[in-house]
Amino acid sequence: MSLPIHLRSGGLPSWAIRVGAAGALVAVLLWIPTHGSDSLIDTCTTATMLMAAAMSLNLLLGFTGQISLGHSAFFGIGVYTTAIGVTRWGWSPFVTLPVAFAVAFVVGVLVSLPALRIKGVYLALVTLALGLVFPAFVKWPKIEWLTNGSRGLDKTGFKFNKANPTYELFGWNPWGNLRGQNVKPFYFWVGVSIVALVYLVCRGIVKSRMGRSLVAIRDNSTAAAVMGVNLAVTKGIVFGLSAAMCALPGSLSAIRTGTVTPDSALLTVAGSITFLVIMVVGGSGSLWGPVLGAVVYQFIIERTSDWSDPNNIPGAVRPLFSWSDVAPGSGIFALALILLMFFAPFGIVGLWHKAVATVVAVVPRPAGTASVVPQETAQPES
Amino acid sequence: MTLFSARGLTAGYGPLKVLEGIDLEVNEGEIVVMLGANGAGKTTTMRAISGVIARHGEITFDGHNIQKVGPDAIVRAGIAQVPQGRGTFPELSVEDNLRAGAYVRRDGSGAVQADIDKWFELFPRLAERRSQRAGSLSGGEQQMLAIARALMSRPRLLLCDEPSMGLAPMITQELFQMIERLNRDEGLSVLLVEQNANLAMHMASRVYLLETGRIVASGTAAEIGADDTIRKAYLGF
Repeated sequence: MSLPIHLRSGGLPSWAIRVGAAGALVAVLLWIPTHGSDSLIDTCTTATMLMAAAMSLNLLLGFTGQISLGHSAFFGIGVYTTAIGVTRWGWSPFVTLPVAFAVAFVVGVLVSLPALRIKGVYLALVTLALGLVFPAFVKWPKIEWLTNGSRGLDKTGFKFNKANPTYELFGWNPWGNLRGQNVKPFYFWVGVSIVALVYLVCRGIVKSRMGRSLVAIRDNSTAAAVMGVNLAVTKGIVFGLSAAMCALPGSLSAIRTGTVTPDSALLTVAGSITFLVIMVVGGSGSLWGPVLGAVVYQFIIERTSDWSDPNNIPGAVRPLFSWSDVAPGSGIFALALILLMFFAPFGIVGLWHKAVATVVAVVPRPAGTASVVPQETAQPES
Repeated sequence: MTLFSARGLTAGYGPLKVLEGIDLEVNEGEIVVMLGANGAGKTTTMRAISGVIARHGEITFDGHNIQKVGPDAIVRAGIAQVPQGRGTFPELSVEDNLRAGAYVRRDGSGAVQADIDKWFELFPRLAERRSQRAGSLSGGEQQMLAIARALMSRPRLLLCDEPSMGLAPMITQELFQMIERLNRDEGLSVLLVEQNANLAMHMASRVYLLETGRIVASGTAAEIGADDTIRKAYLGF
């Protein structure tokens, strides 16, 4: 059989591939907390946070074409809503997740107001200002009674209690517990749940009537308007949702680390850039892109975190990085970004599609010919 | 019967005033063609009618004043626009482009699908490419798609902004025949702006001449064609 192999779209093979992929995903998710090392579980938990943040940005930028460099502020709203709720008012940390969602939604809608009138680089600047202002705002002396200024807040995490249930399943416990031992799997599952929730929201929107209107706004906003899409309302909702979903991993971050400071990396503009780059490397405008981007990013960072000492660098690449006296992780990722933009402008997902297309061609099925396999794909005219 | 009318329609972009008060009318079942050179204000007229730019004047559709109404409500009222250029959404499939055109409809996906099938029947070339990206279509096919998409909102008045732009004369002719057919078979009223006077004049019930934001002449296609000075200036023969 010659390449590419022709598959009929919607037929059994693609269905089987989906089930297989879902099974593999579940297997990997169960393997990580039960067999992985503590540091692997930590890495994966951080990756889920980056995934959720990059996915929320993807809904706004990848699908709707509205750039935001202020998502670190939405992440920070999640962090601080949780920290303040737990330390000042004694809320249970998990109660703060929906509160953070709501607060960030409101702020997101407010930020969308200028976005109705400006686009492109001007919108980038307005949202950049938001990203820059957030840490400064938290440190503002007049609200120090709430945020504790630049000293940050601590004891924002979950208070473990011996009386908490362990949720064992026939003596098997992949979830961890909240008794103070084996809590890493627990945070991992919270992270996975947030990613699953954000994924389902994004998927639900993208595959719906609203999703088509978002792509319409991105591709041709005048045409979208004359088609009856209310640009103001649609952009407002998407901005709000994107901000709200970005606050969820922020909230988890405060619960997990137990301390928050206004200058930690993801709360500053560097965080916005990180989300943006993860989204672009993974594949913007694709549902799985940010997931892959976050995994690749976090593993590069972890793998190279001790490379500031040349003795820790594997022999083969030592000459490349031994001159550096800081961990070169973000540099390597930046290089990967440049190479990807050159070879695969649609990120890892685009690269995957390209690779698949050389092996398998999915033949579209014309209307009303369900049982007939067409011999040739219709070629586009240009 | 008058379907659409504008009296003293002015519009522009910020401080720049493009339309300096034009009077315009489309009767039910008519194809009205507005001719004008580059910069005359043709596209601005279209945008003003659709409500995507600020406009002033007395604008009525089907007896209702729509001057203060937003673009989405105008589409719901029954005015659809085929925007200038390749007004499709290149990353959506042909079928999803049509589905996007039904954005304002609330009569369920069954009725929308029925309309999609109906337009696929009328535009068989689009049916062949239904699951392809719209961006991969040829220029003529994209223009057909843009028209079909506008029809998905079930308009009574179709605004076509220079559909012939960048198309070969043969394709333009085919496109205009399609518009005539929609007018005849579906009772669709059409307001079409064009630079390409020769082809457009043939199907026009009435013609307006637009010059730097003002209407300088109007009449039936025969009247306009018979006027020597107009013919020399606009039709070039």
